[in-house]
Amino acid sequence: MIDQLAVEELERGQVGPSPVAGRRTKSYWAESLSRLRGNRIGVFSGYLMLVLAVIAILAPFLSAFVTHFDPTKQDLQNSFLSPGRTHWLGADETGRDTLTRLIYGARVSMGVGFLTVAMQIVVGGGVGLVAGFFGRWVDGLLMRIVDTVLSVPPIFLFILMGIVFRPNAFTLSAVIASVGWGTVARLVRAEVMSVKNRDFVMATRSLGASNMRLMVRHLLPNVLPVMIVAASLGVGAIILIEAALDFLGFGITPPTPSWGNMLTNAQTYYAHSTWLVVFPGVMIFVTVLAANLLGNAVRDAFDPRLR
Amino acid sequence: MLAKFVLRRTLAAIPVVVGVSLIVFLIMHGTAGSFVPGLSLNPNFTPKQIELLKSQLGLDQPLWIQYLDWTGIAWLLQRIGLRVLLVGAHDITPGVLQGNLGQSMVDGTSVASQVFDRLPNTVLLTVTAIVIGITLSIPLGVVGALRRGSRVDHGLTVMSVGGVAVPAFWLGLMLILFFSVKFHDWGLPFLPSSGIVTPFSGGDLLDRIAHLLMPAIVLSFVYLAIWSRFTRSSMLEVLSQDYVRTARAKGMGERRVTFVHGLRNAIIPLVTLIGLELPGLVSGGLVVETVFGWPGIGLLLYQRALAYDYTMVLGIVTFAAILVIVGNLLADVLYAVVDPRIRLA
Repeated sequence: MIDQLAVEELERGQVGPSPVAGRRTKSYWAESLSRLRGNRIGVFSGYLMLVLAVIAILAPFLSAFVTHFDPTKQDLQNSFLSPGRTHWLGADETGRDTLTRLIYGARVSMGVGFLTVAMQIVVGGGVGLVAGFFGRWVDGLLMRIVDTVLSVPPIFLFILMGIVFRPNAFTLSAVIASVGWGTVARLVRAEVMSVKNRDFVMATRSLGASNMRLMVRHLLPNVLPVMIVAASLGVGAIILIEAALDFLGFGITPPTPSWGNMLTNAQTYYAHSTWLVVFPGVMIFVTVLAANLLGNAVRDAFDPRLR
Repeated sequence: MLAKFVLRRTLAAIPVVVGVSLIVFLIMHGTAGSFVPGLSLNPNFTPKQIELLKSQLGLDQPLWIQYLDWTGIAWLLQRIGLRVLLVGAHDITPGVLQGNLGQSMVDGTSVASQVFDRLPNTVLLTVTAIVIGITLSIPLGVVGALRRGSRVDHGLTVMSVGGVAVPAFWLGLMLILFFSVKFHDWGLPFLPSSGIVTPFSGGDLLDRIAHLLMPAIVLSFVYLAIWSRFTRSSMLEVLSQDYVRTARAKGMGERRVTFVHGLRNAIIPLVTLIGLELPGLVSGGLVVETVFGWPGIGLLLYQRALAYDYTMVLGIVTFAAILVIVGNLLADVLYAVVDPRIRLA
């Protein structure tokens, strides 16, 4: 009973050197957040991502009340219509409104981007935590699995799984995450191995904390920054991969519009309808740029190794 | 010491090779229904004919026998007289270990011969891109580091952040649009938009270079963005080292400090980074090869994947994975030769 109390006290941070009297010390999280807020480029990118996410969520409303077009409705009379008053950003080979399709494309890119990151953080974080904590044969086995997954060229593996699974947005995220978790696992494992030798782990253990408790209550919060950094740096790369797979025809397939598969058709017609190639590409570029800049800002603010 | 290190690394690579072959094989087996698409449901075959077909393809054997047969272990066992172990096996053929990656399901050609036909094209493209990347990124990175905080430095930063965010396939399309389509329209000399040589008439050096130019530039774009950043930060780090200050203190010229003491040390980590790209020699250009119709391994994989040529796709993936593992092993060993500290770790 006493042991249990002591463990909880330690967890609440009541044991150990107390903060210097009279000076309020900021917690790690508060300090990181305030650093992030001080980064103008990062804040701007963050808002841009937020706007894109809102656009993606509101896509049905936007298409009903703003653009007044359905993303898959064909209108052959107006095929290849140039950007103008009816179709603000033009129409494609079957007369579908480009702007509406771009809005719906944001759903795919943002959805797959964040879903994939979530999947690979959960799986990779879990595997890294277990491997780093238990070491020995558990570590050896799990890391050999990671080595194995990471030694197949990713794009090849994606295509292989693409033809086997014929993915929708959810399975496509799983396909991309099935490679990405490996890198996360390596990062988290390395961090866990350095944290677990610190004194507080030994102290907590000697007070009778179980393995599970040690991992979840003590190690996880300490490796969380690494996971957050890995997650925020991952989104941009994932959106790029997703777009490339859609473009090649192994990702989201028509009629669901995505920025990648819009380009597949557009490349046939770019000689006369340049905008069909330009707009989806610009959307991918801007989104990935914003994701990467936000990722960099988060890394600068949160990465303990950069302090 | 070195021999021991090499042996250790080689042994560590074996489970990885086995793991990759298992993953690839099991995905293949997952498609077994489509391995012969819809075979069991085809009304034109009697059950007996289906049995016969499955038997001919070896699909009636136990799963582990099929795996051993595909990898070539079964063939090896048979050769050394351990055939008895393979219960229920028939028609054992040489497998991956013997260099047999199987036959295409579409046209029956050998996967290995197709892969080796395309390999030189892919290597040519990637090596050109890597060379362009190195020759441009190192000077850019050095300039950025030497003039840190200047306008040039900021410009380079923006360029490399933007460079990573451009989708390669889109950049390729835009270049084709501009240098092939628009230049053609304007009556200017234009670049060919696809292929490796002009059909029938082309094939001389100039023609080949014209075809290589755009895909190589697109492919080098990402390398350029990453490596120039890396050179810059590595250079900044080295220039703040004590031995650089010592060199300056004893009156060495700025030029010599920068290039001999600075750059030579700064590019060591870059070598590792470039080494990491070597596996990409085979796969890195898939998207670019597709956009530019460059007849490399990536385009082969892409076309065969669209045609549901499972055996070809699996053969190519296996080949690439083995190449990656061997490449990593070589890189490890080379690095240990260059830097003796690693051997001891």
